[in-house]
Amino acid sequence: MYAVAEVLDESCVAHKGCRLCIMYCPEANTIMFDPEKKVAVVNEYSCKGCELCVVVCNAAKHQAIKMASR
Amino acid sequence: MDKEKIKINPEFYDIMPVEYQELVENATYGKEDRGWKDVGSSKELIEEHSLCAGCPESIAFRHILASLPNPEETVMVGSTGCTSLVFPHIALHNIHSLFGNQNAVASGLKRALAYRFPDKIKDVVVLAGDGATVDIGLDMTLQSWFRQEKFATICFDNELYANTGGQESGLMQKGFVGKMAPAGKQFEKVDMPGLAKTSGCHYVAMLTSSKPNRVEKVIRNAVLIAREIGPTYVQIYTPCILEIGKQMMEGLQEMRDSEGPGQRFEYQEFITDEAKAYMEAKHPKKKRKKKRVEEKKVD
Repeated sequence: MYAVAEVLDESCVAHKGCRLCIMYCPEANTIMFDPEKKVAVVNEYSCKGCELCVVVCNAAKHQAIKMASR
Repeated sequence: MDKEKIKINPEFYDIMPVEYQELVENATYGKEDRGWKDVGSSKELIEEHSLCAGCPESIAFRHILASLPNPEETVMVGSTGCTSLVFPHIALHNIHSLFGNQNAVASGLKRALAYRFPDKIKDVVVLAGDGATVDIGLDMTLQSWFRQEKFATICFDNELYANTGGQESGLMQKGFVGKMAPAGKQFEKVDMPGLAKTSGCHYVAMLTSSKPNRVEKVIRNAVLIAREIGPTYVQIYTPCILEIGKQMMEGLQEMRDSEGPGQRFEYQEFITDEAKAYMEAKHPKKKRKKKRVEEKKVD
């Protein structure tokens, strides 16, 4: 089992200009901004499952990212 | 290097790795106003690396590579340590030589580049850990500042030798017990920004990588001042979460805690009058539209 981050599209506030998870993800090109859906998307193949994005998202009270097992 | 030079021959386009194709199409080479805001919407100059999950050093790496003002004409000089695990994965020219001699290599490199390309602007950026900058390479670091060599030195300060299991380093805080330093540190953390000021650096900053816009500003200043005026020094706190006994998601909070008022990584910036006049004349601050920044909520 391997833990990766998953963005809940309905809670994500990237359309308002939030880039917290994108900024603080330690992996490059892993959390990207989807210009069509206006949400953050996770590239699961390069996610190492460190949960930093969950921490920053919850600290801003968005609760839009959760960890999922693959 | 130029974006033209990394372009793929159309005949071989389909057999090139996807990451390389993305780099050619969507990387921020040659963009004057590049910064951390490009992160997430364009290809970064760093690819998958082998640092630990949640390592704050890789956050700092991303922010630095996103804010270099002229990446296609920049050569980075690294040294042994965790940073040398990332250098093979970045889309910039880089040199790795012996442990501790990064500033000596950069001195020669900067002179050679100025001789070989007199009509081009070439930046040299040294990026090394605290062991290479302050312990083993202190001689080379200080001598390059005494000689007023024109390049920027960035030190990733994780307060110990993280890559080899936690030995004591000059930048370790007093009293800290590392995994391979059981007696605890006996003397104070070396005041490297102070040494940099007295050794002739024109721009000195100490910060953590918890605020991308601050990292962007500092790196931009350091590289631009080093281009014309003289040596610059930036010290960034990138805690080793393994060695200080934190969980992988606690690195960011650790950085925030240690940059509070009165803490050892409180933000400090020093700029000489000469460098200040140069920055105001040549690179005035850009007026950006203020967007709503969500970051404030977290603080």
